[in-house]
Amino acid sequence: MIWTGTPRTKGLARLFEARRLLSLILVGAFVWSLTGVGWKDGILHTGGGDAIKDFSLALFPPELSPGFLRLALAASWQTVVHAVAGITLAIIVGVPLGIIASGSLGNPGRTRLAVAVGVRFLLAFMRSIHELVWAVLFVAAFGLSSMAVVLAIAIPYAGILGRIYSELLNDVPEGPLDGLRSAGASPTEVLFYGRMPMVLTDLLSYSFYRFECAIRAAAIMSFVGIRGLGFEIQLSLSDLMFSEVWTLLLFLFGLVLLVDYWSTRVRRSLGS
Amino acid sequence: MSILRDTLERANDGISPAQPLVDGRSLSKSFGSLVALAPLDLAIGAGERVALAGPSGSGKSTLLYILAGLIQPDDGQLFLDSKPVTDLQPGRQLSESVGLIQQQLDLVAQLPVVQNVLAGRLGQWSLWRSLTSLFSARERNSALDALSRLGIADKIDEPTSQLSGGEQQRVAIARLMLQAPKITLADEPVSSLDPARADEILGLLSALATDTGGALIASLHSPDLIQAHFTRVIGLREGVIQFDIPARELTAPVLEALYDLDRDSQN
Amino acid sequence: MSVNRKAIRETVLGRRRITFARASLYGFLALAVVSWVYILAGTDSGLGDLFSGRSWSNASSFLRQLLGLEDGLGGGGRPAFFDLSRWGETGKLAYKTLMMSVLAIGLAGLGVLVTFLPAARNVSNGELGGRPSAGMGTLYHALRLFFAFTRAVPELVWAMVIVFFLSPGILPGAIALGLHNYGIVGKLSAEVVENMDPGPARALRSAGAGNMQMLAYGIIPQAMPQFLTYLLYRWEVVIRTTVVVGFVSAGGLGREFRLSLSFFQYTDVALIILWYLILVVAVDLLSAFLRRLVRVP
Repeated sequence: MIWTGTPRTKGLARLFEARRLLSLILVGAFVWSLTGVGWKDGILHTGGGDAIKDFSLALFPPELSPGFLRLALAASWQTVVHAVAGITLAIIVGVPLGIIASGSLGNPGRTRLAVAVGVRFLLAFMRSIHELVWAVLFVAAFGLSSMAVVLAIAIPYAGILGRIYSELLNDVPEGPLDGLRSAGASPTEVLFYGRMPMVLTDLLSYSFYRFECAIRAAAIMSFVGIRGLGFEIQLSLSDLMFSEVWTLLLFLFGLVLLVDYWSTRVRRSLGS
Repeated sequence: MSILRDTLERANDGISPAQPLVDGRSLSKSFGSLVALAPLDLAIGAGERVALAGPSGSGKSTLLYILAGLIQPDDGQLFLDSKPVTDLQPGRQLSESVGLIQQQLDLVAQLPVVQNVLAGRLGQWSLWRSLTSLFSARERNSALDALSRLGIADKIDEPTSQLSGGEQQRVAIARLMLQAPKITLADEPVSSLDPARADEILGLLSALATDTGGALIASLHSPDLIQAHFTRVIGLREGVIQFDIPARELTAPVLEALYDLDRDSQN
Repeated sequence: MSVNRKAIRETVLGRRRITFARASLYGFLALAVVSWVYILAGTDSGLGDLFSGRSWSNASSFLRQLLGLEDGLGGGGRPAFFDLSRWGETGKLAYKTLMMSVLAIGLAGLGVLVTFLPAARNVSNGELGGRPSAGMGTLYHALRLFFAFTRAVPELVWAMVIVFFLSPGILPGAIALGLHNYGIVGKLSAEVVENMDPGPARALRSAGAGNMQMLAYGIIPQAMPQFLTYLLYRWEVVIRTTVVVGFVSAGGLGREFRLSLSFFQYTDVALIILWYLILVVAVDLLSAFLRRLVRVP
């Protein structure tokens, strides 16, 4: 568009323009956003200051009674189960869609391109709606159930995974693929023997990251009423049991750390 | 520039050279079990242009870094301009005495050329000055002056990453010009340049160093370039000085022996 | 001794050693099976609903109400998306939502700028120059822990908590989003500094730069482009989450969405979804444009 000129045109003007323009836009946008806050109505609730203090102090120590810990563990299990179901469905759907969207399946030609573009639009639509919004819509349509939540996670995540998978497949260097082609491989064979093995590690690594995100997603599904860590946090918050809230937050933190650690160990074991 | 040279030459006549500019005694350095420098002595006087020759791993870079005050030797003493290097505070004092151009230039790619050049003044500037200069360049004229002497004044506001390799080399030299250290060190400054460009760059470096009564120490391999631009050549191999001779006495066999791959590495 | 054990294991299992990765794969598959069984066998699994005729007619009725083809419990009347004044009203909310997203990203960015340097291993232990100290080491670990914690907690949960202290509006939501993304961008930016080529910073040191000068001339300029790129990428995620956070923090489109749903005014819901999609596309385009500006030099 207007900013892309030939690289050496008016170097001075271009450097100043881009840098200064960017800084101006960023700072200006931030200041503009500040005007939207209702400063004069007071930021804190009445009693908000005390609430902050109470909440901060409740961390030392968090609620550690065995009964509550059992509850937290059960809630964590609920969350994990929904996250795992959601991510596995997302992978099952995302991999084929990603392959098609990458445009490497089948023989080159207009059909392949058209289908790829179509699938890309589908993936974009799937991921443009937040998982909680999907959940709210599904619950409104089908009523509250585990499947509604699992689908609500799986659909946008399949969209994200599909897009990343297709990009990974397309970023593969052509050299080894040319080798396969000259050995007589058809485009589909090139895909399965060439591209896929090369991207498997990156695929895995990103999927693990998405699994970590899915845990968070499953936690907030409490908003539509499904049990889990988010649900318990809401309960404890409304009871003003801040120490319990901290315990649950720490469980959530622990869960995420666990998945993160697992993912790092797997990547190391694969030698990347 | 030539007036300055004349003055210095006249000033040096009849005055015996006092302390050498660079005085290194028993400098040694090891990295773990790897001996980079066996204890060596080094004395370099004002006006000298010294070439360091030797195969990779011979300790040239280590020596240069020690001379630049960036690495501490395991043992030995180093005096720069008659002061012990440990007395020279990193920052203003050290940068006035010695400056280094590294092999990979190490300019900040994201900054415009003028900022990279003015970075040579960081040793002299206060923190406030340095920070405000990032927004509106102070001493822009000195930068412009240096760049025009190097022939790239028109690039002054370009992002450094957009310059060619040879142009970036000149930016690094311009930075050194603004730093104006007594002792100029250069680590393989011309390894990746074609002969014509290498010749030009070495000429600039020599002028930079010796016009102000300083010294130049640079590591390089080519005997032609060594003889054309340097007064003295030191050969290093596995951290030990093999020879230290006037540049005009350098012959091809001597250099070949230095780089000889088949020679026994253990003594 | 352990060499022998390894050799024996290899011969017994054939050439394929059980690597951690392979074991993890089996472990994950087992977890997946257990999870699915748990869900499908549960009382409110919803699987039955998926195939029941009543659910599908509910769903299609819902869809028809969304599209204004059917009148539901919310009463009939003109569908909201044909009503220009409704477009305007919802548009104002979309405007607020956009503000919330920018504020969130701005807060996250400011937070990162202040804390990402000490959170980089090579800055805090003095590799890049500067004196390491016990204090710096503790600061490094504390910051990394803080990044991990703020990242681990979803934005919505932060919002639920913050709404307890702050009065409703775009600020609580912005802070919640800002906190979560602060952790993400903070970690990424610290890693950029850790993976940075130390050459330019070292060269500046030899030119006489002190620690602060080295940071200002060497490290920050190198880190800026990546930092801004990450921030702008996160903006695209934040705009999608802003609506969701609005559920709890009573600001922007989210609140209206929740209200309209609970009052069964589904054409309003459809209108809100439309504005939501407009925001998402707009921010995606803006982010791409700004990212290109970052890359120009």
